[in-house]
Amino acid sequence: MTEDRLQISYTKPLFIIMRIKSAYDKSERQQTGIHIRQYFICLFPFLLVAIITGCSSIDCPVQNTVYTVYRLYDSDGIETTLGDTLTIYTTRRNGTDSILLNRSLNTKEFNLPISYNDNEDTLFFEVKNKIETLTDTVYINKDNYPHFESVDCNASFFHDINSVKWTRHAIDSIAINKKSVNYDSATEHFHIYFKNRN
Amino acid sequence: MTRQQNISTYISRTAISLILLATTLLPAGAQNKTFTIQNDSVPLFNGFAVSFDLVGPAMQALGDYGEFEAALRINLHDQYFPIFEMGYGCAEHDDEVTGIYYKTAAPYFKLGCDLNLLRNKHAPNRLYGGLRYAFTAYNVDISRDDITDPVWGTTTNFAVNGDKCNQHWAEIVFGLDAKIFGPLHMGWMFRYKRRLFHKDPSVGNAWYVPGYGIYGDTRLGANFNIIIDI
Repeated sequence: MTEDRLQISYTKPLFIIMRIKSAYDKSERQQTGIHIRQYFICLFPFLLVAIITGCSSIDCPVQNTVYTVYRLYDSDGIETTLGDTLTIYTTRRNGTDSILLNRSLNTKEFNLPISYNDNEDTLFFEVKNKIETLTDTVYINKDNYPHFESVDCNASFFHDINSVKWTRHAIDSIAINKKSVNYDSATEHFHIYFKNRN
Repeated sequence: MTRQQNISTYISRTAISLILLATTLLPAGAQNKTFTIQNDSVPLFNGFAVSFDLVGPAMQALGDYGEFEAALRINLHDQYFPIFEMGYGCAEHDDEVTGIYYKTAAPYFKLGCDLNLLRNKHAPNRLYGGLRYAFTAYNVDISRDDITDPVWGTTTNFAVNGDKCNQHWAEIVFGLDAKIFGPLHMGWMFRYKRRLFHKDPSVGNAWYVPGYGIYGDTRLGANFNIIIDI
């Protein structure tokens, strides 16, 4: 925005207010009582603003999904890429499997959903290369909190991660980096270290 | 977010303009008339006025929330107008899309003072600028039935009943008041609100706050008042 435009937008409301005040002062000097037309002219911008501000809007943040973020690290604590194919799935309440990450290649980072109200999520990490397929089970223990943002926004659940356990076929370790899971997904929640299979 | 910041910046500029109008930009004589008690035969206590707002009941009738508000305004020499406003705000919304139910109803209170900005303070019409401090304590019910987890397939729900909340806020007001006939006046009051302190529901944010309106939607508000000047 240029300096000129800033100046115009700054003085515009002042100009409107001064015009209203001037009209009122003038009517008093003339001692003509109520100027109905003038009165409604003065009211008109306010009526307009009231109508505009009274219009309904959807009051929901753009980022309104809750998920966990995993980032891969090597044993030196440097971000790394997994050379193998990674598939992650879980078991639904009805016993069927649900794939959360399907055959991901050159994985550096991935996002996974987190259950609304279960105390523990069980995830299966399948790491596959030309030689073998290894499957690890990861258990994420958590507390769940319902979250209300607005009536326009779908109900969601926030979580506090208590602990994580895992089997050690392909995974070396998993560290919790951020315990709270909410709308903020800028920081990864887990650092995951795979075993070196080269 | 950027758009909201722009609107907020614009309103802040308007508020600054109001202050400038009342202080620096008026001629020296007018400025004195604005802020000092004029030496004339009009007594310091020059009556009072009661007013009732029509916008809040209209919003309540047409939508899911609104306020019923009345005010007592003391007239000090037609220049200063200490004012006490009291109202009852209520909202009941059952959203068809999100399935969320929100209900609250509580009184609220506002205390402040208006200043007659006109040169001729004793004219039948008035132009007000003023400030308010407002407070409400309210209970809120929020619930949502049968939320199905799209991945795990489990069904859950949540509900809070009578969750105790409160909010303090400030308002900058600008208004017109015109004499219609006898003691009957009509006028607009335009409000810019800023939240000061608050306690939100345990499950997240407050949506409707009695007296304040929808939080996060807009910081602007307006009243259309029927005023009995006594």
